[in-house]
Amino acid sequence: MSILGECLVAFVFGSVVGLLVQRSRFCNTAALRDAMLFKSYRNTKALLVAMMILTIGFTGFISIGEGNPMHFDVGLNQMVGLFLFGIGMVLAGACTVSTWVKSGEGNVGAMWALLFTFVGMFLFSLFWSVNYWPPAPASMTGEPNLEALQLGFANAETLQEKFGIPAVVFGIIQASVLFAIYRAIVRRERATQAPQKSAVQPAAGKPATMTGDEVPAE
Amino acid sequence: MEFFKKTLDPVIALAAIAILDIFMFLIVGAWTVGGGETMMTGLMAQAVLGDDLERIPFWNIVFKPDAGYWKIYISLGMLFGAFVGAVASKEFYLRVPRRLSEWVLITIGGLLMGVGIRLAFVCNVSTFFGLTPEMNLGGYLAISGILAGAWVGSLIYKKILES
Repeated sequence: MSILGECLVAFVFGSVVGLLVQRSRFCNTAALRDAMLFKSYRNTKALLVAMMILTIGFTGFISIGEGNPMHFDVGLNQMVGLFLFGIGMVLAGACTVSTWVKSGEGNVGAMWALLFTFVGMFLFSLFWSVNYWPPAPASMTGEPNLEALQLGFANAETLQEKFGIPAVVFGIIQASVLFAIYRAIVRRERATQAPQKSAVQPAAGKPATMTGDEVPAE
Repeated sequence: MEFFKKTLDPVIALAAIAILDIFMFLIVGAWTVGGGETMMTGLMAQAVLGDDLERIPFWNIVFKPDAGYWKIYISLGMLFGAFVGAVASKEFYLRVPRRLSEWVLITIGGLLMGVGIRLAFVCNVSTFFGLTPEMNLGGYLAISGILAGAWVGSLIYKKILES
C-alpha cells in the first residue's frame, strides 16, 4: 500500500475510533483506576470484551500467516516504562486515547497533558542519546540479551513455530482467561449491587454504585 | 439522531473498535498511539531546532522525523472524530482546569506518560489493543507494569482527594 493510502486508512480508522470513544465516554485510565479505587467496572468490562475479540482475531489471522504483528525485542523497559505511564495516566486523568478525544471535546487540561507528553518524549530522547538504552530497534536481534535487560522476541507466531500448534489455540486459551476475569467482575457487580439496589430502590431506582457517566472530574 | 443524544454502551463501542482494529492489523498494523506521538514530537522539534536536531542521536537512530508515518494520522483522526462527535451532540465546550493543583498533576502526569511510552517503546493502546492480543511477551510485561503503576497512581490520587 502506498504511504498516502496508509495514512488515509489510519485517519479514517482514527476518526471512527474518536467518534465511538467520544460517544461512549470510554477511558482506558478509568478502566484501571475505577476498578481499583471505586470498584466500578463499566470501562473495565468494555476493555476485556475488546481484548477477547482482538485475541481471537489476531491469533486467528497469525495462524494462517496474515496480519502485521509488532516486531521488536522486549524486556524490562516495557515493565518500567508502563509503570511510569500508569502513574502518569492516573495523575493526568487521561491516557493516550483520552488526551486526544478530550482535546477534541475542548478540554484544555487534556491538551495540556498532551503537550507535556510531547515534552516528556523529547526529554527522553535526550536521555537516550546519552546511554542508548533501551536498544534501538535497528540493533535488535530477537535473542535474549540479558546485559541490556532484553528478553528477545516472542508472540503467538513464535509459539506456533516452536510447538507446531496453530496460534489460534493459544489465542483461545488467552481469551478464556480474559472471559473468566470478565465473568468474575460481572458476578462481583451483581453481588454488590443487589443489596444496595433494594436499599435505595424506593427513592431513585438507580443503583447506588457509580457508573462511568459520573467518573470523577479530572 | 439518537446516536448523538444518548451515551453509547462502551462494550458496543469497544467491540466495534476491536473489529476495525483487526482490519487495521491486516492492512497496516494494530492500533497504536505512542509511535505517532513520538513522530509528532520529532517533527515539532525539527520545526523549532532545524538541523540542530541531528545532534541528538535518538532522532537519527530510533525515530527519523517523517510526516508520512501512518501512526500520526490515527491520532489526528481521533481528534477529528471526537470533535465531530462532541459538536454533533452539543458537548463541545472549553473546559479549563480551575485549581493550580490540577494543572500541576496534569503536567506531572503528562511528563510521566511521555517518558514512560518512550522507555517502553509502547503505549497503553498497543499494550491492550496490539501486543497482548498478539500474545507478545512485551504485552504481559507492559500490563504488569501499567497495573502496578495505576495502583500506585490511585493511591496518590486518593491521598490528594482526601486532603
